[in-house]
Amino acid sequence: MNAYVLGYLPLFDLFLLHLGLAYSQWLVLRSGVFSLATVGVAGVGAYTGGVLVVTYGLPAPVALVAAAIGGGLVSLLLAIPLARLRGVYQAIATVAFIQIMLSLNNYAEKITGGAAGLNGIPKVVDTLTLAVCALATIYLMTAITGSRIGRAFDAIRQNEAVAASLGVSIEAHHRLAFIVSGALAGFYGALEAFHSYTLVPSQFGFPFLIAILSYVVFGGRNTIWGPIVGTALLIILPELARPLAEARMLVYGLLLILTINFLPKGVADTLIERIHAKRLRAKPAPAPAPTAGS
Amino acid sequence: MLLQQLLNGIVVGGVYALFAVGFNLVFGVQRLLNLAHGAVFMTGAFVAYYTVVNGGPLILGFLLAILASGALSMLIEIVCFRRLRKSGDAEFGAIISSMGASLVIMTIWQWISKTQVLRFPFDTMPVVIYRFWGLRVSLLQLVMMGCAILIVLVMGYFIYRTPFGRRVRAVTDNERASMLMGINPNRIYNLTYFISGALAGAAGVLVGLAFNNINFTMGEPYLLYGFVIIILGGLGSIPGALLASLIFGMLQTLTIAYLPSGLTTAFIFSVLFVILLVMPNGLMGREGAGSLGRRR
Amino acid sequence: MALKLVNLSKRFGGVTASADVNMTVPRGTITGLIGPNGAGKTTIINMITGMMDVSGGQILLEDRDITRAAPDDICRAGLARTFQNIRILPENSVLDNILIGFHRHEHCSTLSALFGLPASRQETQAIRDKARSLLTQFGMSAYADYPAGGLSYGHQRKVEMMRALASEPDYMLLDEPIAGMNDVESDILAELFQHLAEAGKGILLIEHNIRFVSKLCEKIYVLDGGRLIAEGPPAQALRDPAVIAAYIGGSDA
Repeated sequence: MNAYVLGYLPLFDLFLLHLGLAYSQWLVLRSGVFSLATVGVAGVGAYTGGVLVVTYGLPAPVALVAAAIGGGLVSLLLAIPLARLRGVYQAIATVAFIQIMLSLNNYAEKITGGAAGLNGIPKVVDTLTLAVCALATIYLMTAITGSRIGRAFDAIRQNEAVAASLGVSIEAHHRLAFIVSGALAGFYGALEAFHSYTLVPSQFGFPFLIAILSYVVFGGRNTIWGPIVGTALLIILPELARPLAEARMLVYGLLLILTINFLPKGVADTLIERIHAKRLRAKPAPAPAPTAGS
Repeated sequence: MLLQQLLNGIVVGGVYALFAVGFNLVFGVQRLLNLAHGAVFMTGAFVAYYTVVNGGPLILGFLLAILASGALSMLIEIVCFRRLRKSGDAEFGAIISSMGASLVIMTIWQWISKTQVLRFPFDTMPVVIYRFWGLRVSLLQLVMMGCAILIVLVMGYFIYRTPFGRRVRAVTDNERASMLMGINPNRIYNLTYFISGALAGAAGVLVGLAFNNINFTMGEPYLLYGFVIIILGGLGSIPGALLASLIFGMLQTLTIAYLPSGLTTAFIFSVLFVILLVMPNGLMGREGAGSLGRRR
Repeated sequence: MALKLVNLSKRFGGVTASADVNMTVPRGTITGLIGPNGAGKTTIINMITGMMDVSGGQILLEDRDITRAAPDDICRAGLARTFQNIRILPENSVLDNILIGFHRHEHCSTLSALFGLPASRQETQAIRDKARSLLTQFGMSAYADYPAGGLSYGHQRKVEMMRALASEPDYMLLDEPIAGMNDVESDILAELFQHLAEAGKGILLIEHNIRFVSKLCEKIYVLDGGRLIAEGPPAQALRDPAVIAAYIGGSDA
């Protein structure tokens, strides 16, 4: 039994690591920013953390904080050109950003080790650390959701004109979303670095972007449960049926198409909505709405 | 030397035009980004390859590639976009849905090709080099230029001079109004996606021949170049995409010739950021890059 | 103590959408703005609320120049609005729709909001209570947890009104607030508007329904072709020959 559980620990670690990045993606989407930069910023964080420890011998906790700050700063820089853009423009620009980071990490061999990778990173992060980080992240996201910032994000995402007419500064909130999402991505990138022994630039490319985005789309984009459910299901699913693991790309592809077409809010969000609606129906109904407009 | 580079750049730009014009045509008509366009492009290369290695002539492979890619592109619209367009949030949904389609198509070609890099048989395209004014042009380059010019001309005629084109533009301007005028938008979409895919398929064959390297990830860089091109040209603008393709082709050739090799990608995509900062609507785009919450 | 438009103009290329419009919306009363379709009412609203650039003239909110201010700054300066075509946040509950209206009065630091510190939580609790009392006032308490997108038209208008009120504005711009409502509902709203004016708010009412406007407004402005063609107490302004001509000239008064 114990060995059985231990066998699944790496999978659980993977879940926790990806969950943090899923929240980074989730947060920007919630604020109405269509940025896909999370993976690129995670790369920045991973290399910041890795290089600080391997090359400069800093202790890992310091490097983690530095990675979070670095991720936040890079993301803030990215927010400047993106502030005036919307929708597909943001998506395209952030995909280009990932590409730039990828090739810079490859190019700066002296710092990052280039395509050969940055090796000899001490593995200082264990499951417990990851679990604590994940819980802290969930708390943070819940706090933001319930605060004035979360409410402003919701308003901006649904209707920018309404948000602005109620005094919400779209620019300031988008900037904030970028900073927090970037810091989170940087932090989890560094955790990823300290959880494995080596880093290569191509880790932070398109397959990773697609995975993270899939978690959020599949789970749900608007509730705190979305990333948890999405990440858990998509990581466990291929493990349950081995042939699925071989065709992971195909499974993700089909799931993306099916989810966005038939369950556009995602598994968790739809479920929560249904439960909520059921509870409302169970309550004594309010007086029938006067049919205005007739 | 510089002239030779520019010439090469124009040839490359012509192929990019085949890719990007279709990409942008679809965006212009539905305001949706089709991320599976790179996979459609790749499908063209694979179909041509398998036709040739099974004994078919190259020209047949080219035709089959165009048909297959066009049909695939049409299928993507029907499966991935049609339902979404009826819901509210198609802009985000289309990106996700077509990303999914791209993954599916890539996996299928990966299985068929067994993850191998495929190469056309040696004499598929005779290697002939012409020289004039100190410049070198290969037969393949001439064919590429010829195809690009021909196809773009035919398409331009189609869109701007025929009743079909008028209907496409009517649907682009206002789907509901055009329906009232008796135009069936779905038929128009089928055709525009077919054209878009066919163009990408043609580009795929030409690129497959030029670099003689066909594999299941070959669409990815072209999709990314396509982004830069359509932003530079202006989202939705066909002439813009054409002009931007040529500029981009030359820019890329020069970058590769004169910049350290590791930096070319970073440079090219940094250009995209500069464009977005300086002129977000591109060379010939309509307004629409900005937010709703500010004065305009 | 008024919202003032001074020689406000808007040109689109060669087309003049508003020409030298001068208006005063004092506090404590309801001011009307009417005009046939295409008279340029929407242009004026968009300029006041910061959705559209101003070509010439000035907009003053008491002693503050808001001619070039952004929409969110204008709200924070104390001007709230409702929209002609209802703009509700459909995914949010009715209560959450109203909560966002309080944004202007939420002052806890960004850090305490990010980390869910007591300051942020207490503030959230306080505005929740306020929102609930607004709901009670509007007789909508039973709907608090319902998704706003599923409400009837009249209820959505009420939600929008509560949301605007939540920002506790000094001035309110109401863009056709009773469109699509029946007489009973519009009478209730008329009463509410009068209460708000008595409480010292300045209200600019844009309406098609001339009867409603003449009942409520102390002064009305009549717009046609982007210009003011008459102003004054409703009874007088509506008798103005230019106004009669504009309305008979062609539309749904």
